[in-house]
Amino acid sequence: MEWNAETLQFLSQCFLHTLSHKPEPRRAAESSLAEAADRPNYGLAVLRLVAEPSVDEQIRQAAAVNFKNHLKTRWVPSNDSNARATFSPILDPEKDQIKTLIVSLMLSSTPRIQSQLCEALAVIGKHDFPKSWPTLLPELISNLQKAAQSSDYASINGILGTANSIFKKFRYQYKTNDLLLDLKYCLDNFAAPLLEIFLKTASLVDSMADAPGGGSPATLRPLFESQRLCCRIFFSLNFQELPEFFEDHMREWMGEFRKYLTTNYPSLESNSDGLALVDELRAAVCENISLYMEKNEEEFQGYLNEFASAVWSLLTNVSQSSSRDKLAVTAMKFLTTVSTSVHHTLFANEGVLPQICQSIVIPNVRLRDEDEELFEMNYIEFIRRDMEGSDLDTRRRIACELLKGIATNYKKQVIDIVSVQIQNLLSSFATNPSSNWKDKDCAIYLVVSLATKKAGGTFVSTDLVDVQSFFLSVIVPELQSQDVNAFPILKAGSLKFFTMFRGLIQKPVAFQLFPDLVRFLGAESNVVHSYAASCIEKLLLVKDEGGNARYTSADITPFVPVLMNNLFNALKFPESEENQYVMKCILRVLAAADISREIAGPCIVGLTSILNEVCKNPKNPIFNHYLFESVAILVRRACERDASLISAFESSLFPSLQTILATDVTEFLPYAFQLLAQLVELNKPPISPSYMQIFVLLLSPESWRRSSNVPALVRLLQAFLQKAPHELNQEGRLNQVLGIFNMLVSSAGTDEQGFYVLNTVIENLEYGVLSPYMSNIWNVLFMRLQNNRTVKFQKSLVIFMSLFLVKHGAQNLVGTMNAVQANIFLVILEQFWIPNLKLITGAIELKLTAVASTRLICETPVLLDAAAARVWGKMLDSIVTLLSRPEQDRVEEEPEMPDIAENVGYTATFVKLYNAGKKEDDLLTDVKDPKQFLVASLAKLSAVTPGRYPQIISESLEPANQTALLQLCTTYNCQIV
Amino acid sequence: MADDSSTSHRRDPIKSSVGNVAAQRRRQNAVTVGKERRESLVRAKRLCRVGATGDGDVPVEENDMITDEAGFLLDTQTSSAVEELKSAVAYQGKGAMQKRVNTLRQLRRLLSKSEFPPVEAALKAGAIPLLVQCLSFGSPDEQLLEAAWCLTNIAAGKPEETKALMPALPLLIAHLGEKSSLPVAEQCAWALGNVAGEGEELRNVLLSQGALPPLARMMLPNKGSTVRTAAWALSNLIKGPDPKAATELIKVDGVLDAILRHLRKVDEELATEVAWVVVYLSALSNFATGVLVKSDVLQLLVERLATSNSLQLLIPVLRSLGNLVAADSHTISTVLVPGHEITDGVIKVLVKCLKSDHRVLKKEASWVLSNIAAGSIEHKQLIYSSEAVPLLLRLLSTAPFDIRKEVAYVLGNLCVAPTAGEGKPNLIEEHLASLVQRGCLSGFIDLVRSADIEAARLGLQFTELVLRGVPNGDGPKLVEQEDGIDAMEIYQFHENEDLRNMANGLVDKYFGEDYGIDE
Repeated sequence: MEWNAETLQFLSQCFLHTLSHKPEPRRAAESSLAEAADRPNYGLAVLRLVAEPSVDEQIRQAAAVNFKNHLKTRWVPSNDSNARATFSPILDPEKDQIKTLIVSLMLSSTPRIQSQLCEALAVIGKHDFPKSWPTLLPELISNLQKAAQSSDYASINGILGTANSIFKKFRYQYKTNDLLLDLKYCLDNFAAPLLEIFLKTASLVDSMADAPGGGSPATLRPLFESQRLCCRIFFSLNFQELPEFFEDHMREWMGEFRKYLTTNYPSLESNSDGLALVDELRAAVCENISLYMEKNEEEFQGYLNEFASAVWSLLTNVSQSSSRDKLAVTAMKFLTTVSTSVHHTLFANEGVLPQICQSIVIPNVRLRDEDEELFEMNYIEFIRRDMEGSDLDTRRRIACELLKGIATNYKKQVIDIVSVQIQNLLSSFATNPSSNWKDKDCAIYLVVSLATKKAGGTFVSTDLVDVQSFFLSVIVPELQSQDVNAFPILKAGSLKFFTMFRGLIQKPVAFQLFPDLVRFLGAESNVVHSYAASCIEKLLLVKDEGGNARYTSADITPFVPVLMNNLFNALKFPESEENQYVMKCILRVLAAADISREIAGPCIVGLTSILNEVCKNPKNPIFNHYLFESVAILVRRACERDASLISAFESSLFPSLQTILATDVTEFLPYAFQLLAQLVELNKPPISPSYMQIFVLLLSPESWRRSSNVPALVRLLQAFLQKAPHELNQEGRLNQVLGIFNMLVSSAGTDEQGFYVLNTVIENLEYGVLSPYMSNIWNVLFMRLQNNRTVKFQKSLVIFMSLFLVKHGAQNLVGTMNAVQANIFLVILEQFWIPNLKLITGAIELKLTAVASTRLICETPVLLDAAAARVWGKMLDSIVTLLSRPEQDRVEEEPEMPDIAENVGYTATFVKLYNAGKKEDDLLTDVKDPKQFLVASLAKLSAVTPGRYPQIISESLEPANQTALLQLCTTYNCQIV
Repeated sequence: MADDSSTSHRRDPIKSSVGNVAAQRRRQNAVTVGKERRESLVRAKRLCRVGATGDGDVPVEENDMITDEAGFLLDTQTSSAVEELKSAVAYQGKGAMQKRVNTLRQLRRLLSKSEFPPVEAALKAGAIPLLVQCLSFGSPDEQLLEAAWCLTNIAAGKPEETKALMPALPLLIAHLGEKSSLPVAEQCAWALGNVAGEGEELRNVLLSQGALPPLARMMLPNKGSTVRTAAWALSNLIKGPDPKAATELIKVDGVLDAILRHLRKVDEELATEVAWVVVYLSALSNFATGVLVKSDVLQLLVERLATSNSLQLLIPVLRSLGNLVAADSHTISTVLVPGHEITDGVIKVLVKCLKSDHRVLKKEASWVLSNIAAGSIEHKQLIYSSEAVPLLLRLLSTAPFDIRKEVAYVLGNLCVAPTAGEGKPNLIEEHLASLVQRGCLSGFIDLVRSADIEAARLGLQFTELVLRGVPNGDGPKLVEQEDGIDAMEIYQFHENEDLRNMANGLVDKYFGEDYGIDE
């Protein structure tokens, strides 16, 4: 793509249209850009457009975003063969030009464009820096020095931002010599300029802060941003080990660090934006000193005391404030690191622990307005944090981590202090429950968070309180409270406690509360009814010693009608329409309870009505999955008890399934096919005619084209073939099935699916039914072999022929093939079977092909003929290779293109339904070990004509394979004579 | 199945099994960005304030603080001393030689007077060309000595100041030869040692100008101070990172013998300098290491470790021992064979170091042990049944981070059997069970929480051993008790793919909810 007025015009128009609200011009623009992106120098042209001052800012912004994404996919082409599509990579001359231009362009652009270009630069840097981009760092440094002279903080921060993103790799990669060489290069060049700009900015900050009024926020802001970036770069450069330069200049760095933790900047901190900015710098400082504390505690030791006290007093202030989360968290992490280090004695002084508990831990654990808001506004996120461990960076959690850290060395003291605190909180609650309810919440949170986590959440222990008595005195009253909607957060906390400690609560106590749990399913609060559902669900999984479920179906069956009713009702609350916790509970109850006709009826009605609803717009895949599992388990367990229920299920489910199939709800098709297969299997022949309508769908090539459907379709086809082989043979249906096979197998993108169809047919039908179709089938396969013989296809063909042989005998295999063309069998054998056999992978496939090949050389007259001795030997050679060498020695990396065509842009994937599953049948149960089968067959064969086979073997087998064969004979005590 | 699918969008499949890195011998990284720890004990550049030959004609005050004023005075005096030298060098009349020596001595005294010699003033005044002139062939020894001494102290200055010696290098090297008197050669070696201590660039200049062979030959005689200076200069010169110089040194005839001979001597200072030469030989050059391990050097190192209490000596001796163990499989497989007397000796001295108060010794000793523990089953059993284990267990819970990490490598290695190829290591159940029972798991879980990713990996690897290998399937329970699940959850979204896969894989495998087994 050449850079000229025309290109400029074309690209500007395209980018303008991509911003359009109308879909047509937008899509058109997007597709012309996608097309243009494949041309050389496209990236360069877009970058030039970004830099073109005459172009509208909005267009240039869109171009900058496009440029960044272009680089992401094409700077280094993905070597992932599963990638959906391969992009043509950017060529080296274009890359060089981009690298020459980008730094200066980034620095001279407006903030929004700058941030895009900065990201683009980081993309390049990730692959090219430093070895293939030696000019970058010098360029950044000289620009930094220039910008520093004129105090141009827009540029300074652009450069620091860039440096920050390219140095980030030092934070998470393993310490290898290559990484250290890169790091050393960065340090040698950047450590000194970094300190220089950091100190320069620091003195600017100081002089402004000292001035009357404390400096204008507008001038201070970029300075603080700059210092924060310096701190983040400090973090990256110091992450692997303490560099010499930083050790030599530790005093300078630490001096400024300490200042930022202890100084107030009123002119900024008077509003929340400014405070957040200063806090971000402080948080970055805390991360740096935590790093030093953890890894370089010896060198850092001299600064420890002052920092510990600075962080402590900072935290005492921050803990009282309800915002400032990030700072509170990083500061507490620093103290946690200190508490577990060799310098933990800082905490040993009289009064320190109670102080920390009182003024730092408790205030941070207390529920804040933000938490309450989250509880009400976004219950899913609240649960994720509260229950599922995504709270690694919340104040509540980190405050508890601090306590745990201190407890490593001062366990008894911590337990004593916290126990007292918990008592205090509970008595404060007792004096006035309605106004002091947060104290009780705080107490419950402390107990739960300080407990040790156990596998799957089934067991939790704590030294803090006696769980049983705490449960009885603190939790049970909440759970028995008559108003399910009062103090929902306390209810949620109590349900969480019950869930976490469920293994420790004795059965009679827990069981007594079961009706209360059922009752809380009716609470308006989404968190509360979710937790109630979750609690029931988890209780049903509790196992006693010996592995038996603690709560049996006899225990719960009496509750099931009301429980199910409440569960379905809970799904009617706003925002809980697709509540996965409730649905999972339904699944678990259906798995545990006795499913009588009375229960099955309403359940299937409830589930199908939900199913019909979600079909309209599938959103929550987890909910949907549990929904289909629930249907599957309901059908399975109910029919196990009472087979006659099947027709009732059919009549309820058919309309829904038909809707899914008819309106092509792609996400659900694999589920629908699996459920149908389950229903077919539960039917007694003759199969109801309504299924034959579904069968039409099986015959739709469209269904098979999508790879995500295929496993489920195969399963359905198998079910039909097993339950209704005769129906299949009527009205030319088999012909249609084979038509699908024909269509799929003819293209390299779908031939695997084609073989699935064919193999299912071959496996499940009698030879008599098949024989009229065989020459047609062979014709199709040979045609494909002639037109486009990929290795994958040849391997599939070998597997198919093996399957045919094992199912219907060698005679039929040879006969049907030779019927198409005289003697073609031997040609195919020599050209395709023998060379591809050793490439077969997968345990089942290996066994199948090895056994089939063995039978071929031991049973087939055409191969036993003296004239075929050479082929016989080559076949055996290939079998021995297959059986004696490990896979990686036999199979070379396939030089094939990944399949892309049909599947591009399709996102649904096949997910197996556990409860609709069926066990794989092993075709060859009579053969345990294919190696043994080989040598035993050979021994038997050779006994008939002694002397004949050893000669063939010595003439045609590779020496290594002769040895391997001999070894196999010894192992299995067989002899080839 | 269902639970897996609900999380599959954020958990990558475990690609690599939890590997056996802990079982590999580790050589200390050749590339380093950290400060060279040697400097805190023995400086790479040394000022010569008292003459190398004991010519102490300047009273040296300890810890003299130079005030600004005194510094200024010194600078002016130095400038005028250089001026005088200039005229002395130009002067060709009677007594010219003595005049030159006197002015040189005057300048040398000024440059030796304080901790902070007036190098800048000397350079500004143009001292270098004059000093080079004074080094010309045929000059009297006294003049050569004084000039070399001046250059020594100039070279002890800042990097740029050291570099200023460039024009003097050929002559300084020339005076190392056998024809020079020992004091002159020694003083020149000192100056060159300072130059080599500056860095790789100047080292390469010196090597290309042929400084190494004459310096090496200075190690051969038995004169203590000369050998000490030469050894120190050589240890600076062969620092690398290119191993060529180290290889060249060990190939010089007689050097190996000289090293062994000097290591046997009582003189601890001498042994210290020689031991540093061994450190760099063994750290850099496989060839040199191969030669060393076939000699008596291991035996000598062990003896010194057993008998000395000098930290200055123990550090290089211990590090040499570690390098020899880490770098050459010969050491482990044929020298330190369990049952041999020397092997018991090594373990014994390492235990002594573990007990020492000095953290460097504890750390280096653990490092050496970790490499021995990576050897055969017999090696593992030997350490396992030694006095080291209780010490290591205590260090794992109480020591500073860097020591804990090394200790963890030892304990980890004790629990895995040597493996031939890739894949999960086989574990030594007896060791694992007993170490865990004695409480080491919490130390490893702490490492899992560490910000250091190597340490975190080690922690996860050990956790995997526990989960897989503790008898009766107690592993998961033990990991739970130490809050290990919590620790592993930190990696759920970690940027390091390897750690993320490892941790998530372990949580899924050992703590995943058994969905569906209730039916």
